[in-house]
Amino acid sequence: MKLKTKLLAFAAGAMMALSGPAMAQDWAPDGPLTIQIGFGAGGSTDTMGRILGKVMADNTGWNIIVENKPGGGGVAMFTGLSQMPPNGQTIGMGVSIPVLVQLVQRGDQLPFDTTSFDYLGTIAKAELALVASKDAPFDDLDGMIAYAKKQGGLPLATMAPPQVLMMKATSRVKDAEFNLVTADGGAEVMKLILGGQVLAGFGSGEHVPYLESGDMKVIASANQSRLSYAPEVKTFVESGVNAFVDPVFFLAMTGGTDPAAVAAISAAMAEAVKSDEIAEIVKNAVQGAPINMGPEGTQQMMTDGLAAAEVLFAE
Amino acid sequence: MKGTAMSSSSDRISGAFFCLFGLAMYFLVIPVYVETAEGGSLAPNTLPNIISIIIAVSGAFLVIKPTKHQMRDPRRMAITGFYVLLLIAGIYGMSKFGFEFVAPVLAFALMWMIGERRPLWLISGVVLMPALIWFVVTQLLGRGLP
Amino acid sequence: MVDFATILAGFSDAFSLYNLMFVLLGVVLGQFVGAVPGIGPIMAMAIAIPFTFGLDPLPAIAFLVGVNKGGLVGGAVPAVLMNTPGTPDAAATALDGYPLARQGKPLKATKMALFSSVTGDTFSDIVLITISAPLAILALRMGPIEIVALMIFAFSILAGLVGTSLTKGIIAAALGLLVASIGTDPENFTPRLIFGFWDLFNGLPLPSVAIGLLAISEILHRLSLAHGNVRAAITVADTGNPDDRRVTWIEYWTCRYTMMRGALIGTVLGALPGIGSTAAAFMSYSMTKAGSKDPKSFGKGNLHGIAAAESANSAVVGANLIPLLTLGIPGSVGAALIISAFMIHGMQPGPLLFENQGRLVYGLFGAMLMANFLNLWVGQLGLRFWIKVVSAPESIIFSSALLLCFVGVSMATNGLFGVSIMLIFAVLGYVMASFGYSLVIFIIAFFLGPRFEKSIAQSLSLTNGDLTQVFKSPVAAALLILSVASFIWFLRKNVQDDAE
Repeated sequence: MKLKTKLLAFAAGAMMALSGPAMAQDWAPDGPLTIQIGFGAGGSTDTMGRILGKVMADNTGWNIIVENKPGGGGVAMFTGLSQMPPNGQTIGMGVSIPVLVQLVQRGDQLPFDTTSFDYLGTIAKAELALVASKDAPFDDLDGMIAYAKKQGGLPLATMAPPQVLMMKATSRVKDAEFNLVTADGGAEVMKLILGGQVLAGFGSGEHVPYLESGDMKVIASANQSRLSYAPEVKTFVESGVNAFVDPVFFLAMTGGTDPAAVAAISAAMAEAVKSDEIAEIVKNAVQGAPINMGPEGTQQMMTDGLAAAEVLFAE
Repeated sequence: MKGTAMSSSSDRISGAFFCLFGLAMYFLVIPVYVETAEGGSLAPNTLPNIISIIIAVSGAFLVIKPTKHQMRDPRRMAITGFYVLLLIAGIYGMSKFGFEFVAPVLAFALMWMIGERRPLWLISGVVLMPALIWFVVTQLLGRGLP
Repeated sequence: MVDFATILAGFSDAFSLYNLMFVLLGVVLGQFVGAVPGIGPIMAMAIAIPFTFGLDPLPAIAFLVGVNKGGLVGGAVPAVLMNTPGTPDAAATALDGYPLARQGKPLKATKMALFSSVTGDTFSDIVLITISAPLAILALRMGPIEIVALMIFAFSILAGLVGTSLTKGIIAAALGLLVASIGTDPENFTPRLIFGFWDLFNGLPLPSVAIGLLAISEILHRLSLAHGNVRAAITVADTGNPDDRRVTWIEYWTCRYTMMRGALIGTVLGALPGIGSTAAAFMSYSMTKAGSKDPKSFGKGNLHGIAAAESANSAVVGANLIPLLTLGIPGSVGAALIISAFMIHGMQPGPLLFENQGRLVYGLFGAMLMANFLNLWVGQLGLRFWIKVVSAPESIIFSSALLLCFVGVSMATNGLFGVSIMLIFAVLGYVMASFGYSLVIFIIAFFLGPRFEKSIAQSLSLTNGDLTQVFKSPVAAALLILSVASFIWFLRKNVQDDAE
């Protein structure tokens, strides 16, 4: 049995190298394959993960179960995943930034690091924007900072610690005060902006309908590069604040999983990410196109991301 | 069981417990298990600390001024304890052997303890019900059992 | 504004046989699954969503709305028949529903729950269809400061539920808030009281706490009573009086103000994201009891109690769609799942939804109204079925219910970890009830706790820590004054009732 697995692994590996993903079909999971989503039901990660699971199941005929394991922005799920035997039956889906931030801030308490997993690939990148109501008395980051200085403070909504740290970096560099209100997700940020309780806030896609309706405007891109839907708007970095976050939706398995399984599953995933269904759901969830960095690319993204996060988030 | 001595003592016990619990939270648990954070308007430990003090003070007040509450029959509570132990064993068993094997045993133990001896009902509860759950969850819904 | 032709087209889409089939399927599934201990409508929706992928948008969303609405009716069934509510809002229904069922009138109790649920639901749907836009704008004006004031007002009304000892009520509420603080703090997201369990990072799983505290603790108590004593879980008394098996028109009509009040409370709270049906159900119950000429009959099978709770918690669900459809803001997990269905079908709820997808939205409205009607119809048949089921011996009912709760909670949370938490809270609930502490107060505080703390933190941020600014908001100031008044009033009412 063991020899057979090894042979299969070898064969699959060799064929992968020769002919690409098509031959990875030779491996099939022994029992149902579970995708564990590191967030609760009903969010963008959950929706994308469920559709991905469905498309993969339709393409391969495997039995794929999708479960929610919320907690700590995916940390609870990845903790569990890192402690599992590498039996090739469980896949974790999460978002890079919250995991990296926890690794930087309390890595000593966590039983895993970025090398604990075999990475499968990515689905999409979240475009994070700083937005304001159309009536706000400023149009870009510099204008907003000037206004905050004039008023001696500016109420601004964030939804997670990385954004708080970005705003604190802004305060430090530009010497302006912000009243940072922590909201429960992007939808609440929108509510606070529309209700006039804050003047600006971060959105990861929830704001796009309001851009279309003309109720809101983009102030800055919080990504490393400019936003695909608002290329004329500058990033924080371009405005002189050296801080950015690039949240990526990715999948991984327990480190030490049978390479044949990793190859087959990442091939199945890559095929699914190319499908129209995924393109549509990614468009609706994050306003962008699907991006698959592949196993090595994802590994690289996490390693580089950790280094970048250490610079930004270390106290 | 109607004596006021018995009933007011139940409130004294729970009051004393909550008084100690509140103090323990405030002085021992919260300082260790709640991190301090820089910045922000509301420190992570503010609300838990206020609540712990409210619990401790209310508990002390209850010791001084108990109501005439009648506690449940202690004998019944002991029986409940046995059922709880059975359920703990059930959860432990499921973590080791899986739902498929433990559920029928657990169901049988529960039904037998209640006093069910009629074979037809026993079969329904021990065989049919777990089988039905297994079928619906794994086959119809495509989900995993514990 | 959407023109009339679009509205008509939308409604006629909804009433096509094909779409009605999906609404019916959703209602049947929701009523059935909602009534199964430990499962509930939210999980039914989460599981159903991928299956709607291949459908057109309208039948897909109509189906999910059917599941959601059917689940509301189903959720009341275990609460009334067995005193084992699967969700905290149904615990309010159990307060009077279960005593009535124990008197041999389970059919009357569940039917009252059905009728008042559909009444409240229909009311909030009509509000949604007619005046959702202005209501949503009003809801937007409720900032963090106003929300804090509103929650203090809600707590003050709940003082009417404290019962004999205010001290014990305060301890139960404080304990609920303390348990709610497990997880992370709302501002800095630092782990708090998680004792090394990263699964607790998002707080205690709600299904584990609700089902453990409310349902399993009751089953544990009943197991000790049933021990060595085989009997049916419920007996339907054959009194020969048909009125014991139905709700007469006169009985329904005397509850009209109760249901209107419940529906109104549910609609207002539902339009504000994040407050939820639990607070609505108990506020409505508490106000109805306090306003009644015969408050002592509450908790002993008063139809008004059932009507108050069910009309309010069902109204919340329709009203949750007000911020969702107009602003894209979900007010509950159920609403978030409906957003996810919209996203799957290429739409994002928000300011342009009515303009871009008017026909679909009105189709959805038509489906909601149909779902209410079908709920009534399916419920009439379904309730008889459930009463037959719980007429089985307690031995099989309790063992099966426990297995189902194990499986359901394990699916809804992190596997057996969630089940273990459920058992811990079952024991806590049992011991608290044994010593006379209110589980209901505990669970309300637990559910409102995180939102309460977050809103306080947000308010402090906005006011630079200067709480006197609260009085700059007329709404918040009015709510706080009302809170003080109602707290005193409810306490005096309590004392008087005890003295009588």
